[in-house]
Amino acid sequence: MARRPSLPTPAPLRHRAERHAHRGLLTHRSVADALISLAGIVGQPVRNQAGDEVGRVADVVARWDGGPYPPATGLVVKVGRRPAFLPIAQVATMKADEVRLRSARLDLRDFQRRPGEVVLGRDVLDRQLVDVDGVRVVRASDLYLARVGLAWRLVGVDVSFQSLLRRLGPARRRHRATPDRVLDWSAVQPFGSQPGELRLSRSSQALKRLRPSEVADLLEELGRDERQALLDALDPGVAADALEEMQPEELEQLLREAPVARAAALVAAMEPDEAADALRDLGPEERAELLDAMPDETAGDLAALLTFSEESAGGLMTTHLVTVPVGTSVQAVRDRLREETEHRADVDRVLVIDDDGTLVDDLALFDLFLADPTASVDDLVEPPWPVTVHADASLEEVVARLVDSRAASVVVVDAADRPIGRILADDVVDALVPEKAKLRFPRILA
Amino acid sequence: MTALDPFERRPRAPNVAVPGALGDAGPAPGAPDDGAGPTLGPPAPRRTRRRRALVVLAVLGPGLIAANAGNDAGGIATYASAGAQFGYRTLFLMVLVTVALVVVQEMSARLGAFTGEGLVSLIREQFPLRAAALAVVCLIVANLGLVVSEFAGVGAAFELFGVSRYLSVPIAALVLWAMVVFGSYRYAERMFLMLGLAFIAYPVAAILGHPRWAAVGAQTAFPHFVASEPFLILAVAIVGTTITPYMQLYQAAAVADRGLGPEDYPLVRLDTIVGTIAAEIVSMAIIIATAAVIGGTGALGSAEDAAKALEPVVGSAAKALFGIGLLGASALAAAVVPLSTAYAISEAAGVERSVSSKFTEAPVFLGLFTAQIVIGAAVALAPGNLIKLLINTQVLNGLIAPVILGFILVLANRREVLGDAVNGPRFRVVATICVAVVSLLAVAVVVQTVASWIR
Repeated sequence: MARRPSLPTPAPLRHRAERHAHRGLLTHRSVADALISLAGIVGQPVRNQAGDEVGRVADVVARWDGGPYPPATGLVVKVGRRPAFLPIAQVATMKADEVRLRSARLDLRDFQRRPGEVVLGRDVLDRQLVDVDGVRVVRASDLYLARVGLAWRLVGVDVSFQSLLRRLGPARRRHRATPDRVLDWSAVQPFGSQPGELRLSRSSQALKRLRPSEVADLLEELGRDERQALLDALDPGVAADALEEMQPEELEQLLREAPVARAAALVAAMEPDEAADALRDLGPEERAELLDAMPDETAGDLAALLTFSEESAGGLMTTHLVTVPVGTSVQAVRDRLREETEHRADVDRVLVIDDDGTLVDDLALFDLFLADPTASVDDLVEPPWPVTVHADASLEEVVARLVDSRAASVVVVDAADRPIGRILADDVVDALVPEKAKLRFPRILA
Repeated sequence: MTALDPFERRPRAPNVAVPGALGDAGPAPGAPDDGAGPTLGPPAPRRTRRRRALVVLAVLGPGLIAANAGNDAGGIATYASAGAQFGYRTLFLMVLVTVALVVVQEMSARLGAFTGEGLVSLIREQFPLRAAALAVVCLIVANLGLVVSEFAGVGAAFELFGVSRYLSVPIAALVLWAMVVFGSYRYAERMFLMLGLAFIAYPVAAILGHPRWAAVGAQTAFPHFVASEPFLILAVAIVGTTITPYMQLYQAAAVADRGLGPEDYPLVRLDTIVGTIAAEIVSMAIIIATAAVIGGTGALGSAEDAAKALEPVVGSAAKALFGIGLLGASALAAAVVPLSTAYAISEAAGVERSVSSKFTEAPVFLGLFTAQIVIGAAVALAPGNLIKLLINTQVLNGLIAPVILGFILVLANRREVLGDAVNGPRFRVVATICVAVVSLLAVAVVVQTVASWIR
């Protein structure tokens, strides 16, 4: 299925403006001079009070404390060939090309990573990060530290090609910060620390502002562990919404990579028609495996949907219907609709059925809104009669029915005239828009 | 199709027969079982997991596709040249190279399955930036060499049909570029694949050509070195065309990109090993078929001579069949290789992000792709013998291969990358020997070349 186009909203634009403000600060000469480039400080000397070199910086350790700018907790210093941990409290000054100790001698401790700590050079530099404001996946070319109050904090991440070239260049120029395309750290979603325990270190507020299509873009661009970590951080409903927006091939891969239980939970949380599409793309064995892991009711519904061809009315429809029996009061219907707030996009009309489940009428929300709350839905049953198709109707027939009736949706009924689904006009549009001729290249060839 | 059975909709049924994956669904010995497995939820029954991978591999078989990439224009030229110049004498080398290739491809597939990442991405994350840059530069040079050889292949194919390469190569470059950029490449890809199938005729030709099987057996089983410069250079060309960095990239990427993980690995490994050996049997068939018909007649001079090897199968149509196969294999790789290079570089440098969604809005990616096509086509137009050019690009690949192999070996030796799937001590020894031998050959060619300048 073609991806649903998403309309730009003012929100991301505002974020971009904010980012430019941050960038302005970082590009300011005095600030830029005070920035410590992580790539630059690695390899620089650590000197004691007397100015004698006692070791060389090997890495910087920071603690993911949930705040926007993680504090540095210490340095990994190589003394001879041995790596040792230097708590930040022992550091008197840190310059781009030198670290000075408070004391005359270095208090050596073996480095042991404590929970929540991240070794920046090893775990973050050169790895993927999510730029939440720009909604894209970036790779860290360099990280910048700055003195904020009493602490050294991680303030920004450099994503420019220039910084890569600087790191490739001669060593004596390497420590000079080149804040060119720098993202403020507060606008970045980093990933965890150790392989195997990769998870989002702080569930960014910014992440929650993303629209499903934006999350889908990010999921498509991330590596395997990172995308599972991002899924972990998302609310299951939000994750399912995002999955609905993903390219079919990418979704197929994601579901295959994910543990069965999670994949099943995600698919079960998707809208039934999208979930059925996703399942169709998997092999029969994988499909059966996922259906087995779902709640029985959901699995049954999806299995029923899967019996229809993707090109037919049955394949286009959603099974999410609001159905009320004849004789229901308008007030009861309204209460019922209130429970459906979450699915408002899929609820176009309310179906009235008689005792044996056959379709009586398809009521517009507008009519229900104007009707007297104490009245019965029976009073609203009148021509025009519902626009219906059978599940095996072709796309052309569905389009023809919609065009003839000028309706926003058609009801799909079975042989006994019982409603089994609804096709919304937007799903028809999706089906009619030719899949964008686009080149999908293995994401990971890099 | 309006059939009500959606399960028949896609050719993904497990009973599709593709060589390479269907031999044995049982557990492969020594395959790592858990460790990196997912922790969420109850573990899936192993059986369905395995069969799941079987479905994917049976249809797509990345191992076979990757290894068969070695049988492109450069490969055909090199193997045919080996057969023409030295008869069956290079066959023992093919056995050694196949062992090395299996070892290397297996490591690449394992890296792809256990990390879910491609090789360039892993190298960028695991090595110092300068080392990573070295790897990327080597990759660019190797792949550019490959692009040159593919366009040379296109030129040679059209010359068989009497079309000058000064006409065919620029047009082919333009058409391929336009097809990729404007998005109709997918259809062309299938056509090229079909054309490339013409080379299935080689194993048949190897049998119908009545080679001296006793000699074939002896030369395969026992090493027969020929102490001459042409033999050494051809040996490196064989190594270069068989163990191409592109194949390792593709292998890792294809496994990771299909979502095949640690629990699918036993089958991935089987596919890799069987696919690689199958592709190398085709390569050996090229040498045998060519040796049987024109063996010992000296260095291969033209594509026309190479085509003679297929005469036992199709007689006078050999030239046409060879031309069609060469065109298909060359055109396919001429688009795919620059694409994969551009993708790898963009992603490693982090300069382009939405490559897969907005192709034409990615100027750096597009620029890299275009530059490779232009350079590849331009070099292929330089005056001189196309077959020589083809073999020289493979020698270049042979010189670069050890560098990339070294990176792969280090990655596969690292426990922090692969966890319990890391190279075992014995495997490590074998793999190190393979890389060392390939490196030695490359060094020998460099020394030889430098020495010849001094003289």
